[in-house]
Amino acid sequence: MTFFSRFSLTLLALWSALAAASSDYHERLFLHPLPQSSLLASFNFRSNTSQQSFDNQHFRYFPRALGQILQHAHTKELHLRFTTGRWDAESWGPRPWNGSKEGGTGVELWAWIDASGDEEAFAKWITLTQSLSGLFCASLNFIDSTRTTRPVVSFEPAGDHPPTDGLHLLHGTLPGEVVCTENLTPFLKLLPCKGKAGVSTLFDGHKLFDAAWQSMSVDVRPLCPPEGECVVQIEQTVDMVLDIERSKRPRDNPIPRPVPNDQLVCDTSKPYNSDDTCYPLETTTEKGWSLSEVFGRKLNGVCPLTDSKDPNESTVCLRVPHDRGVFTSEGTLETKQADGFTRCFTLKASEPFDLVIPEQPVTSEVPLEEPILNAERTIVGHGAERGGMRIIFGNPSDTSDVDFIFFETLPWFLRPYIHTLRATITGRDGVRREIPVSEIVKETFYRPAIDRERGTQLELVMSVPAASIVTLTYDFEKAILRYTEYPPDANRGFNVAPAVIRILDSPHTRDTAQNAPVFIRSTSLLLPLPTPDFSMPYNVIILTSTVIALGFGTIFNILVRRVVSADEAAALGAQTLKARILGRLVAIRDKLGGKGTKVE
Amino acid sequence: MTDKHGDQASPQTLATHADTSNVKKVPPPETPEAIQTRFRVIAAFWAVIIFLGFPIWWKTTSIYRAHLPIQEMVDWADSKACRPVFPLEIHLATPGLQSTEAQHLLRTTQHTLDDLNEFAAHHLRLKLADDHTGEEDVTEDKADTALTVRLLPQEDIAVPRSEIHTDTAQLDVFYPPSQVPAPSSSNPPLSAFIAEELQRLYSEEKATIAHILSGNTAGLDSTSPQVAESISRRLRRSMKYAETYHLSFSLFTPGAEPSSWDIEAAVHEYLSPLLEAFAPISNFTVDTQVQLYATFSPTAPLPEYDETEAAWNLKKEDLSAFINAAEWPLNPSIGNGPTINFILYVPSPSQSPLIVKENRASSWIIPQWGGVFLLNPDLSPKSKSNPAHLSQESLRPAFMTFSHQLLTLLGTPSTPASLPLRLHTLIRMRAAALLLSASSTMGSLARLTESLPSIPIPATVAASVSTTLSHLAATCSNLRDGRFSAALASARIAEAEAERSFFEKSMVGQVYFPDEHKVAVYLPLLGPIGVPLVVGLVKELKRIVASRKARRQAA
Repeated sequence: MTFFSRFSLTLLALWSALAAASSDYHERLFLHPLPQSSLLASFNFRSNTSQQSFDNQHFRYFPRALGQILQHAHTKELHLRFTTGRWDAESWGPRPWNGSKEGGTGVELWAWIDASGDEEAFAKWITLTQSLSGLFCASLNFIDSTRTTRPVVSFEPAGDHPPTDGLHLLHGTLPGEVVCTENLTPFLKLLPCKGKAGVSTLFDGHKLFDAAWQSMSVDVRPLCPPEGECVVQIEQTVDMVLDIERSKRPRDNPIPRPVPNDQLVCDTSKPYNSDDTCYPLETTTEKGWSLSEVFGRKLNGVCPLTDSKDPNESTVCLRVPHDRGVFTSEGTLETKQADGFTRCFTLKASEPFDLVIPEQPVTSEVPLEEPILNAERTIVGHGAERGGMRIIFGNPSDTSDVDFIFFETLPWFLRPYIHTLRATITGRDGVRREIPVSEIVKETFYRPAIDRERGTQLELVMSVPAASIVTLTYDFEKAILRYTEYPPDANRGFNVAPAVIRILDSPHTRDTAQNAPVFIRSTSLLLPLPTPDFSMPYNVIILTSTVIALGFGTIFNILVRRVVSADEAAALGAQTLKARILGRLVAIRDKLGGKGTKVE
Repeated sequence: MTDKHGDQASPQTLATHADTSNVKKVPPPETPEAIQTRFRVIAAFWAVIIFLGFPIWWKTTSIYRAHLPIQEMVDWADSKACRPVFPLEIHLATPGLQSTEAQHLLRTTQHTLDDLNEFAAHHLRLKLADDHTGEEDVTEDKADTALTVRLLPQEDIAVPRSEIHTDTAQLDVFYPPSQVPAPSSSNPPLSAFIAEELQRLYSEEKATIAHILSGNTAGLDSTSPQVAESISRRLRRSMKYAETYHLSFSLFTPGAEPSSWDIEAAVHEYLSPLLEAFAPISNFTVDTQVQLYATFSPTAPLPEYDETEAAWNLKKEDLSAFINAAEWPLNPSIGNGPTINFILYVPSPSQSPLIVKENRASSWIIPQWGGVFLLNPDLSPKSKSNPAHLSQESLRPAFMTFSHQLLTLLGTPSTPASLPLRLHTLIRMRAAALLLSASSTMGSLARLTESLPSIPIPATVAASVSTTLSHLAATCSNLRDGRFSAALASARIAEAEAERSFFEKSMVGQVYFPDEHKVAVYLPLLGPIGVPLVVGLVKELKRIVASRKARRQAA
């Protein structure tokens, strides 16, 4: 059993074969049917610009708007991620691109900024987030100092930077950001073919954001090959997992309908099987699908900027067993890879392309690899004051340990007690033992929070032994916020950014040609904080005023009023208007009551 | 609470009115000490309110308003503080004349010039070019030389003729030696000729400056309506002055080709010399982009095919919808300063050649935004497609047009032929426009602060205002002394500071806090406390008045 995901390896290997190609622009669509009638569609667009023309602001493939932002903010390397949904590692296996092209739920941004000091770097970082916020129609401008961290070991530059550069890494997340079509439109505008030709024609906001999981990424990095001049590379990726059944629903009639009675396949061996009772049989065939059904349109030719004469340049690749029947549009060249599962298609320029996989019996399956590490992070505990965090790492391998870096950023209003950090280990025997944390955690980088200024940053270099599950727990305290610091939907809870796990090179991964880092991200968390009654200030104003007024009135009256006995008071009050009215009332009451008092 | 009003009624009157059958017991009269104490208590409460509570409330709720020199600001806005004048210093180089002859020629020419001039704010001052040019006068008070006129004798001509240098600020006047004016002649023909030439050179500038100073309405009386119209059109089209302009050149095409162009070479070859000439006025940054698959917006009218012309025609009135602002990435560049967009549009082969219907032009200016050029390249004969690459040579007409459009967008006048002279004119025009704009901003700020008493005025605004006013004064004096570059520099600062003070963010913060909210917050406290206090005060006053009256009656 290999520990490195073969599927991701295929994807990366295919792609890196193209890296040396002459053309400056590449695009690629990788389709991979996943279990449970899902389809992973992985789009990738990559172009290079020479560093010189980038510096002189002569943009050809590189988007001008983004290029100017990067120059203005002195950003040398940029990674931006928009993600929604959750990657179901149990059924879908390891992540595409080994997780290196996805972010945590919401928006994640990290960049290497050239600056002479920390403060200058942060000022440029703010410029960068503000500008990107406008470019991508996302709330990136909400990445302030409390959401910004400077990871020490978790990230390494992917590009080639001159060694003298004073580069500062800054990292920010917006776990609550809802990624939607308004982020896709600017994303498409960055592409040279803009969704009008090539694989980007398949993008449709309705389908993309209907996916079970999707991730958009933009990576900009400088590359300096040993020979030749430096280039600035921009790589844009969209990965999505579509539910085939759901995507095939027609746009104008999306409500699912029950299968008509006569089309049901029933288990007739059941004793209760009759006209109106059916035990549906599990189908042994794989459901058929086509590009135009799943994406709602055909692929419109090839983006002419790609070098179509290059034989390696195949724009669409499909990962199904070779014995599976696949039909494509006329004029398409099919190449089968030696691994027995991947085939690639070279498309005819300017002709619509469709790919059809008919319904057919399943004879062989593409094997799914097991992920290197399973990770899960949850908030435990109850009450409005305290809580706890529990992180579970599972190493499915029987033979080798997994070394990795666990990186989490916590908002300042979640105050962790690091001294309560505990570790328990559960082997295959199911026995749970508490072990000292130092056995698991090799190194710790911890930067405590400052209220309203910065969040907690925790980086742990860890190692999980083979065939065991390690659980880390720590307690935390929830801060009480100021009245104005609560968002409008305060009772929903506060988002806590996902943790990032980077698998360190293990001997198994080092053997392979790929040394691309493997990333895993946990889901984001929702932290309920004690929320006040928001009409409180007005209640307080009115209550305090009432109490003060009561006290004041009493004291003032005692000081200025004249004290007389009750019978004297009647004499004093007799000639006032009120006294006269009262007197008349008393008279009428007496008359009606028939009491024998003398009345004039 | 029946005893509420009882304390002021005197027992005697009560006794007379108490004609009920119940004989009521009358309380004993209040001692003067008690009345005194009550008066003191009420007075003490009110003293605390007036001398402690009220000042604290005033202090804590008042807003900071820095002192602004309102009158001075209004004076600038009403152009009472400064009358901009433009004395142009023109050097007369007379290598072929005697000193006295030259002096005489200078005097007579100046006299003729003054007679011709109808716009007092703009006048030409002649000066003999000093021979001792070697020792440069480095004092700052030296005025800029607007133009050098060189008088050169030439044998084979009968009447004087002039020739303007297109690349330097120099006018050569050739004259027959016979026309050297005699010291006695009061109006020699050579003087008249020079004066007329100068007048002609500066007529457009004069009209423009008069137009700017008179508030874009009427210029000089003598300017023809056509000239006035063209001046006001040029002023309307030109960009607002900025220190830095971003020039953005974009290649748009509806298909996939051409996808590359020799832009670096073209910019360097065709544009850089012009930008260098502009260096004293503004700086420029240049960026370029290639955008494929740039389609017209769906609502835009499509070009029509004209069989007689064998060309696709865009109607003139449809040109405003040509730019697909929603989809073409023409966002302004980052950084200070406006962006001027130049669009090179290569139509698809099926719509080539594309021209404007009315005048068969292939380019037009979008006022205060940029320019468009339609490039119809030769289609390759085989496949009827656009070339994949645009060479530097094929970009030449486009960049010639863009240079011209840039000059127009920056407000450069169309005459005279010499570019340095036109740039000098531009400096004076910009200085005048900035002076007026900063002054009027000062006036607006003064009016704003007077009409909105509830907005705060931070100290930074006061500082900006004083910087603006001092730089306005510097601009004015520089103009008077003929130092136009220095005037432009200080006018720039004045304008920037004026804008900063007018758009100060913290000034608008509290405008929208309505009074109703304040009342709602204060009322629960002030109601219950205020009522007994006021009633107590009123009663006490009534008692004092009553006792006064009683005393007077008693007296």
